[in-house]
Amino acid sequence: MSIEINNVTKTWGDFVALDDVTVSLPTGQLTALLGPSGGGKSTLLRVIAGLETADTGTVSIEGVDATGLPAQKRNVGFVFQHYAVFKHMTVAKNVAFGLEIRKKPKEQVAARVEELLKLVHLSQFGHRLPAQLSGGQRQRMALARALAVEPSVLLLDEPFGALDAKVRKELRDWLRRLHDEVPVTTVFVTHDQEEAMEVADEIVVINEGRVEQVGTPDELYETPANDFVMSFLGDVTQIAGVSLRPHDVDVSTTPILAGSTEGTISRLLKVGFEVRLNVLTVAGDDVHVVLSRAEARSLDLREGSTVWVTAAPGAAVVPSMRFAG
Amino acid sequence: MVEPPLPVRWALRAVAVGYVFFLVAWPVSLVAEHTFDDGLTTFTETLQDQYVQRALLLTAEIALWAVVINLVFGVTISLLLVRHEFPGKRVLSALVDLPMSVSPVVVGLALLLVYNGRTGWFGPTLESAGLQVIFSSPGMIMATCFVALPLVIREVVPVLTELGDDQEQAARSLGATGRQTFWRITLPSIKWAVVYGVVLSLARSLGEFGAVKIVSGNFTGETQTATLVVEQKYQNFEQAAAYSTAFILAAIAVICIVVVSLLRPKESHA
Repeated sequence: MSIEINNVTKTWGDFVALDDVTVSLPTGQLTALLGPSGGGKSTLLRVIAGLETADTGTVSIEGVDATGLPAQKRNVGFVFQHYAVFKHMTVAKNVAFGLEIRKKPKEQVAARVEELLKLVHLSQFGHRLPAQLSGGQRQRMALARALAVEPSVLLLDEPFGALDAKVRKELRDWLRRLHDEVPVTTVFVTHDQEEAMEVADEIVVINEGRVEQVGTPDELYETPANDFVMSFLGDVTQIAGVSLRPHDVDVSTTPILAGSTEGTISRLLKVGFEVRLNVLTVAGDDVHVVLSRAEARSLDLREGSTVWVTAAPGAAVVPSMRFAG
Repeated sequence: MVEPPLPVRWALRAVAVGYVFFLVAWPVSLVAEHTFDDGLTTFTETLQDQYVQRALLLTAEIALWAVVINLVFGVTISLLLVRHEFPGKRVLSALVDLPMSVSPVVVGLALLLVYNGRTGWFGPTLESAGLQVIFSSPGMIMATCFVALPLVIREVVPVLTELGDDQEQAARSLGATGRQTFWRITLPSIKWAVVYGVVLSLARSLGEFGAVKIVSGNFTGETQTATLVVEQKYQNFEQAAAYSTAFILAAIAVICIVVVSLLRPKESHA
């Protein structure tokens, strides 16, 4: 395991940002720290980087205890949400910064900078100032700058958060490909579950300063540990005390399904290829259901119809917090 | 913004231009006019006066020291105020502004109470160690530093605040030490604020009168600065000499401002 975090707690006054967090992040993989804003994921990343110090607990990177090491000695690459470009330096100078600090020979620096600019597709922009680049280009430059020092881990704090949707999508595909090319251990923070599911090998779900679940995107989606993880990774609805995905609800017009609940369709909405239903059950649940148009047509569903709903066989189901607590 | 009607706009412009003209431009231009009443004769004569020469040199020396000291402390205090949290920070921030509001005469008297060689609180100790503060350059430099203290800080603090510490954190994560971060990242980012602060400090230091008059003792040819010469010449009915010296002071100040306004626009391109 590449990054080991043990019992890390960090508070700001009486706000608990990290509450006794213990997690291992694997070597060579792309890991996402996923969770809602203010949940502590950025703090965890900054603790790993040494930009914040934990109140208690230890951090080790590649087997070296880094708890007491200042940021400049941890050999981590850090990419900031708002790029943190050095505004007064050219793109090439930005990328060269870490190498020049390490007093590498000039020719070696020049060669490495050229190689990195090529890697991030900015070869023609070396002599420009960051102000002359677009947001996406600036973030790629920041990535090249972080990679220049050959860090043992690459940390990205909401790297695409400040970019518009289209560039965001391009950059995350690109990050995935880049990671396959340069397999450095990478950890990135995001609050966008789609981004995490698409890009990451492994996801750590963090909420209110605690780790809720660690797993591959599939594991998290198929077997969520609790209601929070389930609802954070996609749409959720409740039937009779359990949470499940709206597309995992079976609907029939007769009470043939075992354990099914009777209800009335209060709303029927057709959006693109799917049909969305709200079913008001006799138990008082408002169940959301998603069907294909074909399914809806074969059942001849309309607003006001009486139907029986239940969890489909093999559906991911967890006890609902609304009932449990 | 809603544009006011044309006559109102013209009236506002006239008021602004008139105000500045009668308060600043005209009086200052009269100084220049009086200086060159008889061509260059009085001006060159004044420049050859050894007391005036001595005073100008002394002013330059004190202003330079004060600017250098204020530059170092100003940048350090600014970094402290913006980048660090510590008890007493608000008190420090308020104290930094004090010289703006306190009359320089009060500053002079206060320094006198602490550092005068006979009855001062700290003066006798320093004097027995061989350092005379009052009636000597150190006291005059201190007085000048005091009155010019906020100028660098108040230029640098807002720029540092707006800059944020992202770039500094990035530099640290790339392996830079605190010192390397300061020289390579922080200082280049705030350099125009520093330059502007330095020029303002220089102008303020050259023109300092009240505090310096008290701590210097105003000994002709020894601890008399250019502003003190102006006053003395004027009171001795050597008006022409007073105007000439005053003109030099005003000219340097104008040159400072022109230089800065020539430099400043480049900031947006940098």
